[in-house]
Amino acid sequence: MKINVLHTGVVFFCESAVVLADSINVFFLYDCSKVQEECDLTRAGICYFYPEDTPLEHQELLCGQLAGVSRCVSELSCSPVHLLRLRKSKYAVRMRDTFLWVLSCVSEVPDISVCEFLDHLIGLFCFYNGPVQQSYQLHSQGELALHWARYISHLQGGSTELHHIFSCLETIRSTRIDPLLLLKSALILQACQRCPLVLAGCLLYQGRVLSTQMCPELTRKVMVNETETYSQEDRLQAHGVCWSGATPPSNTVTTPVFLTSSEVNTLRCHPVDNSCRFHCSSQPPDQPKKTPLLSRTLSDIANTDLDPAELEHALCPPAHYQTHSSPHSSLSDEESFSLCPSTASTPLHLTVTSQSEGSPSESHDHILPNGTLLYKAIESSMFEGGSPVRSEGERNTAEVVAVSAISNGLESGQDSPPQHDGEGEGTKEMEVRGGVKEEMREGGRSGDCRSPSGGTLDCLLLYQHRVGSLVLAVLVEPHFNTDASAKEDVYFSCLASLNGLEAHLRTTSSQPPPAQGPYIYTHYDCVQNTLTTNVSEHSSSSQDSFVKATALLHSDFSLKDTLQEAIVRNASCAVYATRTKAQETYFLQQGTSARNSGIPNVQDTAFSLPGKARQRLLKHGVNLL
Amino acid sequence: CTGMSRVYVMADKSTLLKVILLGDGGVGKSSLMNRYVSNKFDTHLFHTIGVEFLNKELEVDGRRVTLQIWDTAGQERFRSLRTPFYRGSDCCLLTFSVDDSQSFLNLNLWRKEFVYYADVKEPESFPFVILGNKIDVSGRQVAKEEAQRWCCENGGHPYFETSAKDATNIVEAFEEVARRVIASDDKQEPLLSTHTVELRRKSRSDPSCC
Repeated sequence: MKINVLHTGVVFFCESAVVLADSINVFFLYDCSKVQEECDLTRAGICYFYPEDTPLEHQELLCGQLAGVSRCVSELSCSPVHLLRLRKSKYAVRMRDTFLWVLSCVSEVPDISVCEFLDHLIGLFCFYNGPVQQSYQLHSQGELALHWARYISHLQGGSTELHHIFSCLETIRSTRIDPLLLLKSALILQACQRCPLVLAGCLLYQGRVLSTQMCPELTRKVMVNETETYSQEDRLQAHGVCWSGATPPSNTVTTPVFLTSSEVNTLRCHPVDNSCRFHCSSQPPDQPKKTPLLSRTLSDIANTDLDPAELEHALCPPAHYQTHSSPHSSLSDEESFSLCPSTASTPLHLTVTSQSEGSPSESHDHILPNGTLLYKAIESSMFEGGSPVRSEGERNTAEVVAVSAISNGLESGQDSPPQHDGEGEGTKEMEVRGGVKEEMREGGRSGDCRSPSGGTLDCLLLYQHRVGSLVLAVLVEPHFNTDASAKEDVYFSCLASLNGLEAHLRTTSSQPPPAQGPYIYTHYDCVQNTLTTNVSEHSSSSQDSFVKATALLHSDFSLKDTLQEAIVRNASCAVYATRTKAQETYFLQQGTSARNSGIPNVQDTAFSLPGKARQRLLKHGVNLL
Repeated sequence: CTGMSRVYVMADKSTLLKVILLGDGGVGKSSLMNRYVSNKFDTHLFHTIGVEFLNKELEVDGRRVTLQIWDTAGQERFRSLRTPFYRGSDCCLLTFSVDDSQSFLNLNLWRKEFVYYADVKEPESFPFVILGNKIDVSGRQVAKEEAQRWCCENGGHPYFETSAKDATNIVEAFEEVARRVIASDDKQEPLLSTHTVELRRKSRSDPSCC
């Protein structure tokens, strides 16, 4: 239980760790347009309800109440509802057109995690099925229920508790593999891009990201399909599949996917060295070229709601970050080797490079004279709260409106005493966050959730090539499927490398993980949306405490813009956290003698934590100096 | 037992033979593999990092075999990545470029490295095949006779002059590899697998290719 927040940010916390994965109580999609008249049944508006075995009366009760409350509050406050917080649970709410999505978690889960979870869920659905309204016109509720269930189970399963808290990508533990293999994976992706129909790709191993050229949001979406197929097929050791030429390879698959036009534009703007493109790949005349912006007509621009920043960015494409495929392949050994360390240091190097060279995150946000806020699709921050990538301008427009409301019958069987949790006193509290800014933001940025009415999503194809546990997933232009030579080029350009990489990874991953030091740490990179940690898979009490404290602190960081450093502790341990706009770092020193009186005191061991963290984490490449 | 490595039998009953391409960086190992398996030649290939492989099915003297061709990184710095994959090879293709005499002189080192890391028990009888690549390039530094002499003095290995760019002699070289492996298999002691015993009997009737 948090009892105090000092200026230095020492907070006390309780032991009970919450597993986000198990804490999803309810999710539903409700179509308000189906329930207009008095005589309309609430059940007619329920498109999907999780858990599916909930009695219909309960479903109706919850949907009806929450739809009413959400509408009422948003009309009163003139801003969409984002989060309804009750005593023991909270509801992340998204309203688009006539649709209402609600996701409920127990109240210990950080607000930001619940909201991100819901946004991601909606984003996934739209990515694989297109606009919601259109999907429900084309397919039956039963069919789409399977999809929702699949995405929910994907989000709940697999990743660790920490990954759930930060809603981040699961990456391969780069300390366990040779950095040269990360370079190899980056080169495989670049080799694919030599086909003009290939936009960007990522490599996944055992359901984790090895290397990606896409923004974190897209990478996360792509991973769902992969994880699904991985769990189904991991028994098939299909490495080194023969392809005698004529028959198409069975270990590849293409799936249609839906992206917003700004996402697609960003992908098409990617710098690719044209000098070593495959020669045989044809491009239809109406297709935007890879160096497209000069050939784009004004009407094209008008159709795609490019913001000025994007346009500027587009007209001055970032410097080429492609390193290997110079037309003169006589690159000396030294030259090529000098590429390795930087690329090797992070599996997601390419993403960072392209972002930092072409479009520093500050330049993504532009406030126009009329106060409208525009975003670039590449930006990784989700809609609400806490991502330090957000600009100050946006923060200033953020409004937090607290509305007390009575929640009759929303929570069954709640009779525990009121909780005091830092910022919210009172038992039945409803918080409405967000506001006008939300609508503005959707205008310019990816808006996974807007587009239920259709029209703004473009269809691309997701091409996947599997070798054992290794999957190459690339986004390609829609006519890739009908272009046999392009398919063959992409397939053969990476087949041998994928085979080899898989063989390397198979031998590497069997090695035992390095021993955990006398400390636990987690480092969250907000730009790449990745996590580095030495938290092991095996649960222990100090690790559970660490995870719990991390959740608390991450939540606090997301709520308090000016909070930069904090220490939380209970009787047995203390966790230090520090953040900048680009990263958050959490640190726990084990085995220190407890000299925690509970009263701030210079002798307190907790105050030596920042120094220890700086010193210990340097060797993990985390610089807190 | 090195023969055991060959006892991977694929579902279609074709034998999997692991062959490995070794040689200095830039002599054209990847291009040789790509030309043979997918009949493509790419002028923009980057250094191979670690190892890569492709499978190719072929029929030699009435026997269906699958060649699993392992392409390796030639640069010294990639040594630790490539050497673990030498083990279990059925044939080693030592490759040099005819326009680079140093790559030819290094063949000895490559042979030693292979024998050491693949843990070859009898290097004298192990099937090596020597490839002199890039014969399309002008400015040749290694004469054909010189290369043939080296092959003769070092165990009578077959020698092929190839061009991955022009697709010269590629198919012939790899088919010879398959024949060599099958032939050397015959000299091995009887194996436990009944399937392999069957192969021995069958191949004995084949005419010797060397």
